[in-house]
Amino acid sequence: MRLKLALGFLMAMVGAVAGGEEITSGSAFLSPELRHQQDDPTRNPAWFWVEQGQELFSRKPEAGQACSQCHAELEKSLRGAATRYPQVDAASGRLLNLEGRIEQCRVQRQKQPAFGYESGELLALTTYVASLSRGLAMDVETSGPAQPFYEAGKAFFERRQGQLNLSCKQCHGGLVGQKLRGDTISHGAGTGYPAYRLEWNGVGSLHRRLRACSLGVRATQFDYGAPEYLALELYLAGRAGGLPIETPAMRR
Amino acid sequence: MSLPISPLSRPSEPAPSRRDIVVGTGVGLGLAALPSSALAATLPALPELIARLTEGAVPERGRITLEIPALVENGNSVDARIVVESPMTEADHVRWIHLIAEKNPFLDMARFHLGPRSGRAEVATTLRLATSQKVTAVAALSTGGYLMSDVDVVVTLSACIDGG
Amino acid sequence: MAFNARISMPAEARAGDIIEIRVLTRHPMDRGGQSDGKGGTVPRKILNRLTATYAGEAIFRLDMYTGVSANPFVSFTTRAVETGDIVFEWREDGGAVYTRAARLTVT
Repeated sequence: MRLKLALGFLMAMVGAVAGGEEITSGSAFLSPELRHQQDDPTRNPAWFWVEQGQELFSRKPEAGQACSQCHAELEKSLRGAATRYPQVDAASGRLLNLEGRIEQCRVQRQKQPAFGYESGELLALTTYVASLSRGLAMDVETSGPAQPFYEAGKAFFERRQGQLNLSCKQCHGGLVGQKLRGDTISHGAGTGYPAYRLEWNGVGSLHRRLRACSLGVRATQFDYGAPEYLALELYLAGRAGGLPIETPAMRR
Repeated sequence: MSLPISPLSRPSEPAPSRRDIVVGTGVGLGLAALPSSALAATLPALPELIARLTEGAVPERGRITLEIPALVENGNSVDARIVVESPMTEADHVRWIHLIAEKNPFLDMARFHLGPRSGRAEVATTLRLATSQKVTAVAALSTGGYLMSDVDVVVTLSACIDGG
Repeated sequence: MAFNARISMPAEARAGDIIEIRVLTRHPMDRGGQSDGKGGTVPRKILNRLTATYAGEAIFRLDMYTGVSANPFVSFTTRAVETGDIVFEWREDGGAVYTRAARLTVT
């Protein structure tokens, strides 16, 4: 009862409504100690990744331009960018998340070899760019060209899968706040990612987290950046619409 | 500042040869066949671990506080804070504070060396706990005595383990 | 980027004040012993010592073993005696040494 009251309070603070379902940030499910650590820059190690990303952002490749040469005024150019990803790339019609957009920029505009998903560099850059939108509300486009991707993500979220025959929704919709071993089941909002997980001893992407979910229900683990996870990421982002970006967050 | 460290806490040796592994496996099988009490006897008990640090002296309880959560969500990073009541003067100060985890693969976790210029005997760090166990802090005083405090910590099992 | 450090402490203090120094370090603190996939094991590679020197002497030392977490946090205190750098030195298994300094102005 007390937990329900506490959760209710938190939901009232940072609640987002998606299809009548109230969504709260993953931070609401942390212990007070971990939450305190997350909010204290002298204690949250994820800021090292932000710092590294900032350094990469202004580093000039041997040939070509540094990110910062085009995106000079961050306040104008990239603040808020992360709230709109994943989004459909107009030119190719593909769904791109923030990692995908940074890689596309690197390959097509900077003419550099791709970093690779989950590489230290791409994680650092993604964490840095997402951190520029800290506190801004998630606001992805889910209609128009994005609609088929959103619908696919929703279907993925609701479909039973794996040897445990569980859908994402059964836990992250129906059993939120309950315990799974030492963990508390959250709504599955990805608004803190890339995040520092104690489990990882470092920062990882949302897709790394999703791969752990797939493993947890003994289902197929898709590759980093796979269309299945991209669509799911869009659905989760749409569902978490209105919640502030918390990157770099800490999670269990 | 010399430090008697458990042989268990030495840096890892170079990779064993194939012969070592074969011989070691034999020993391992032999151990596995022993009753569990005999196996337990091969690991030093906590009082012995403490005596190793205090040159045999039995530390007093009190005047030292070990703050560590009784219930830990993830053993990979556990906040620990140790405060010793001490004037921290030239004549009377804490020389060091040592942390032991009796069930970690390596029992010694950390040793803080302090002195009169510390001002206060108040330190903190983040620890790695392999499993639920007793965590012990031992402080050595410049006046010759030792203080200790211990806390039983439960490390919960995570459901959301990472498979890459 | 295997190593980085964030040192948080007041920039100024009055002589005699006791200040808290908080040090967050980026380091995997690899405890070793895991399989390297080639029949051997990964060697231990941790920061095994942090020393802080201020106004002519070591004011703090932390000996670290594998029971210290990855990306460790450390806090300790010192008495402000004179304006100067507090120099932090980490020693890593294998002999690498990293240093950082933070200025304390004493009024």
